Amino acid sequence: MKEIIVVAEHRRGELRDVTWEMLSRGRELSEGLGGELSVALLGKDVKNLAEALKPKANRVLLIEDNRLEFYNSETYEKVLTQLITERKPMLTMIGHTATGMDFAPSLAAHLKIPLATDCIGIDAKDETFALTRQIYGGKINAAVSFLKKGPQYMVTLRAGAFPVIEKEPLSGEIVSVPSLLTDEGLARRFLEYMEAAAGEVDITQADILIAIGRGIKDAENIPLVKELADSMGGVLACSRPVVDKKWLPKGCQVGTSGKTVKPKIYVAIGISGAFQHVAGMKGAGTIIAINKDPKAPIFGVAQYGIVADLFKIVPVIKEKIKQLKKS
Amino acid sequence: MDFELTQEQKDIQKAAREFIQGEYDKEKILEWELTHTFPKEVWKKACKLGFIGIHFPEEYGGQGYGITENILVVEEFCRKDSGVGIAVTLADFSSEVILRFGTQEQKKKYLIPVTRGEFISGGAYTEPDHGSDITLMATTAIKQGDSFVINGTKTFITNGTLADFFIVLCQTDPHAKPPYRGQCTIIVEKGAKGLEATEITAKMGIRMTSTAELSFSDVRVPLTNLLGEENKGFYQVLEFFDESRVEIAAQALGIAQGAFDRALDYARQREQFGKKLVDFQITQHKLADMATKIETARLLTYKAAWNYDQKRIDPKLTSMAKMFAGKVAVEVADEAIQIFGGYGYITEYEVERFYRDAKITEIYEGTKEIQKNTIASALIGKLK
Amino acid sequence: MNIIVCIKRVPDTADADIFIDKSGKDIEKSGLAFDLNEWDSYAIEEAIQLKEKLGGTVTVLSAGGEDSNESLRKCLAMGADDAFRLTDPAFAGADGFATARILAEAIRKRPFDLILTGTQAEDDGYGQVGVVMAEMLGVPHVSIVNRIEVQEKKIKAHRELEGGLEEVVEVDLPALLTIQTGINEPRYVSIMGIRKVAKKEIKAFGASDLNLKPEEVGLSGSDIQLDKVFLPLVGEGAEMLEGKPEEIAQKVFDILRDKGGVA
Ligand SMILES: Cc1cc2nc3c(=O)[nH]c(=O)nc-3n(C[C@H](O)[C@H](O)[C@H](O)COP(=O)(O)OP(=O)(O)OC[C@H]3O[C@@H](n4cnc5c(N)ncnc54)[C@H](O)[C@@H]3O)c2cc1C
Ligand SMILES: Cc1cc2nc3c(=O)[nH]c(=O)nc-3n(C[C@H](O)[C@H](O)[C@H](O)COP(=O)(O)OP(=O)(O)OC[C@H]3O[C@@H](n4cnc5c(N)ncnc54)[C@H](O)[C@@H]3O)c2cc1C
Ligand SMILES: Cc1cc2nc3c(=O)[nH]c(=O)nc-3n(C[C@H](O)[C@H](O)[C@H](O)COP(=O)(O)OP(=O)(O)OC[C@H]3O[C@@H](n4cnc5c(N)ncnc54)[C@H](O)[C@@H]3O)c2cc1C
Repeated sequence: MKEIIVVAEHRRGELRDVTWEMLSRGRELSEGLGGELSVALLGKDVKNLAEALKPKANRVLLIEDNRLEFYNSETYEKVLTQLITERKPMLTMIGHTATGMDFAPSLAAHLKIPLATDCIGIDAKDETFALTRQIYGGKINAAVSFLKKGPQYMVTLRAGAFPVIEKEPLSGEIVSVPSLLTDEGLARRFLEYMEAAAGEVDITQADILIAIGRGIKDAENIPLVKELADSMGGVLACSRPVVDKKWLPKGCQVGTSGKTVKPKIYVAIGISGAFQHVAGMKGAGTIIAINKDPKAPIFGVAQYGIVADLFKIVPVIKEKIKQLKKS
Repeated sequence: MDFELTQEQKDIQKAAREFIQGEYDKEKILEWELTHTFPKEVWKKACKLGFIGIHFPEEYGGQGYGITENILVVEEFCRKDSGVGIAVTLADFSSEVILRFGTQEQKKKYLIPVTRGEFISGGAYTEPDHGSDITLMATTAIKQGDSFVINGTKTFITNGTLADFFIVLCQTDPHAKPPYRGQCTIIVEKGAKGLEATEITAKMGIRMTSTAELSFSDVRVPLTNLLGEENKGFYQVLEFFDESRVEIAAQALGIAQGAFDRALDYARQREQFGKKLVDFQITQHKLADMATKIETARLLTYKAAWNYDQKRIDPKLTSMAKMFAGKVAVEVADEAIQIFGGYGYITEYEVERFYRDAKITEIYEGTKEIQKNTIASALIGKLK
Repeated sequence: MNIIVCIKRVPDTADADIFIDKSGKDIEKSGLAFDLNEWDSYAIEEAIQLKEKLGGTVTVLSAGGEDSNESLRKCLAMGADDAFRLTDPAFAGADGFATARILAEAIRKRPFDLILTGTQAEDDGYGQVGVVMAEMLGVPHVSIVNRIEVQEKKIKAHRELEGGLEEVVEVDLPALLTIQTGINEPRYVSIMGIRKVAKKEIKAFGASDLNLKPEEVGLSGSDIQLDKVFLPLVGEGAEMLEGKPEEIAQKVFDILRDKGGVA
């Protein structure tokens, strides 16, 4: 029987969205292959999460252990090595997230299972899988195939790249798997979670966000966009490089490692549209993108696009709004 | 024959490019241009990283490279921004006179702080009535006891209101025949009693660089401030020009390249009559001509620098480089504005500033006509 | 503290026009400017800062062609002590896994306390080389690190998670960390630095030097291969607003008003 195992991702008592996305794609794949879909859940006291997963898979492989209370690459690697060695799934699906990026590569290398990371597309093909990835910051897509022939494969899937399609619920059974973890010392130990210092304004509460990226070139140019934001009654947000360069506080960053926002309107200015950024803003009601590069991936998610030099167009838009608001 | 830069030279070029790119900030620059402000922070950082005085020996705070490496830095800086590039790379203007002719104490005292970003230098040759012709100076330095007493006026002096010291060309023997055999170069420090610098505020370009009039009224400096041999000042300055003119050629080259970069970028984006500008053959030809001129200027300039570093003095070659590169800078910047159309005339698009900054390279350190005189006299075999 | 940093030279494509090349498997690289992978510039800076604080050495290595020397020299000029390059015609076509193997074999025989890599590369973006290498070398790893505190025989590292959350972990040395951007401010290369490295030789090692068999490296040692590249459907959803700036501004205003953006 062909089994696909999705490794569930959860943090602080909640399943993360990528889990549902993987399960949705995993179900389509397993149905196509005439196989079964399992979801592996590692944690401490996570029965409630197992219950929530039941309708989405044929089987919930539940591995509970006090030592799995917090994610740790070493315990994950041990537990999953045992699980995959025993069950020999045809495909293991892991999220390409801060967690998945941290353990999938070493797990695959350890098990000698071929791995394709950060896939935005996966289809079954001749006993193996055809994959789509993005390269050059999302400017180019690549069709990728496994070179080593299985029979087992592993992929990490980009969060947000796969839609969650509602289907008839499955009646997954919960199968408890012993963890075999011992108190043997770990070389890596979890200490604590820390919230990054919050900015002055909470961008997640704003209805209108004007976001700037590296295209703004320098901190000194920010007032230009700030004025636009002011004219619209919006709030400034940004992509990661703007924070890395300390031009705006961390609290303004949108994306996987920043905030996820769902404003009514999101204007992306000088932002290329790397998936880590897009993940944080694609839920916005209306997205308008301004970029001088017509091939920028941001135009793939925006509803409205303007190919222009931001330094030229932003002042004109700002003036227009001021003028029309008055009249 | 080898037209490749060495690995080290390429690394220097890249380091200069990354630095000036990192410091480039259009809003700030337009502000400095408007307020005639010297980019002090950029200059300080450039010193700290070893760009300024790169061609001085190590014992005087430099990096021990030749002028070839120096002009690579100048070219890169001016390419990214003509105004900042010129202002920053002229911060050590004329200090080479000390390097070539000064005593060890003088070199230690003045050159080390120049490389560290503590001192800015200036060279005062031009006078209101003596510009192209400096064979007779109206500024006099008369020996009195253990001092020179200097009187006179110098004009158009770069870094005039900023410099910590100047190299001043003075007439020490008004009766010498010919008069240029009675000239000396003397170091005068900022704050000397009787020395006054007045900024010449309104000018066409290089507005981030100070240009000032210096007036000397009974300025006393110790005799030990004399540079090199007495009455050899004129010759020292000409020798200095052999080096400094290559640097001006590099400014011109950088400006031309910077204007070209912007024009090419713009022509790729701008559409008229349903086509990109680059799709018009006229624009293509303009770009081809500009690039060819720049490459020619680069070949001449690099050759002049290389030749100087081979310890061969060839005023003809130096003058050819400066004259030609200056001309190319003006022509290319002009054509760049044309490619930008109306936008080119607007400050925000920068090429008009490149054009205004380009023009000075045809004037200072010897006008293009004077360069031609030098070239011609070398060809014809007659000294002046 | 002896630190090894793995770096990669990549084309700068964020601002450039890019085209697919004749092979259909990559982009046209001529005309693109190349530089140190952005993540790696933070990794090398972090290594140098640690060395400046704690002493020790920084060794940089890169798997790549002769052009990679430029990036290696840059790292030396920034303050690394030693650099070498791994190159062999047989390495061609390597994916993240095969690249990690080459790097791991080169590191295996060297003493180290810490290995730093970037979190991902700007071009291929597999985001896996560092973590695979840690597994191959049998050392613990921490990925996506944005803060480091060195303690007695261990490191306290902050990992960047989603949504502004960080995870603080402690890891025993020797270890491998993959570095996230923003952890520091990479320095400029100084002329002093260039002078210092001008005479330095960058040794190159091939497959046989690393005791790697041809089938273990390059395309044949890889998990995956790239079959073809294509342009994503750009502007799929986006309606392009065109016209004079004035007209565009008017359209933006209309959209904003429709969507409740301007009161
Ligand atoms: C683990 C991890 C987490 C990450 N988390 C995040 C995150 O939370 N948020 C995030 O944003 N990124 C994140 N990133 C980084 C992400 O991969 C990209 O590097 C980043 O989003 C790029 O930012 P950008 O679009 O501003 O810059 P670039 O990709 O450099 O794009 C700049 C854009 O500006 C345009 N431009 C330039 N000049 C002009 C002009 N004058 N007018 C108009 N347009 C112009 C260019 O055409 C280009 O498209 C993360 C990366 C990793 C590895
Ligand atoms: C912004 C700026 C900065 C400067 N910085 C400095 C500085 O730091 N130190 C310094 O000493 N000077 C400096 N100068 C002065 C500059 O070097 C002189 O302006 C230049 O040498 C020309 O001298 P002039 O202005 O007196 O022109 P003139 O000598 O009066 O020349 C006027 C015109 O006549 C032409 N001409 C003169 N003689 C001949 C001839 N024999 N044959 C053919 N044509 C001839 C010239 O080419 C020119 O076209 C600076 C000038 C400017 C504008
Ligand atoms: C000689 C050679 C030829 C190659 N030819 C091809 C080819 O023709 N086609 C092809 O598709 N791929 C080729 N590759 C492989 C490809 O360029 C990548 O290096 C490899 O796939 C790793 O993926 P990544 O850069 O996305 O890794 P990521 O996992 O995203 O990189 C993360 C980190 O790993 C380190 N790292 C990654 N690559 C290197 C490296 N090369 N040297 C040192 N450190 C590194 C860096 O620290 C980087 O920040 C070649 C590699 C080599 C060595």
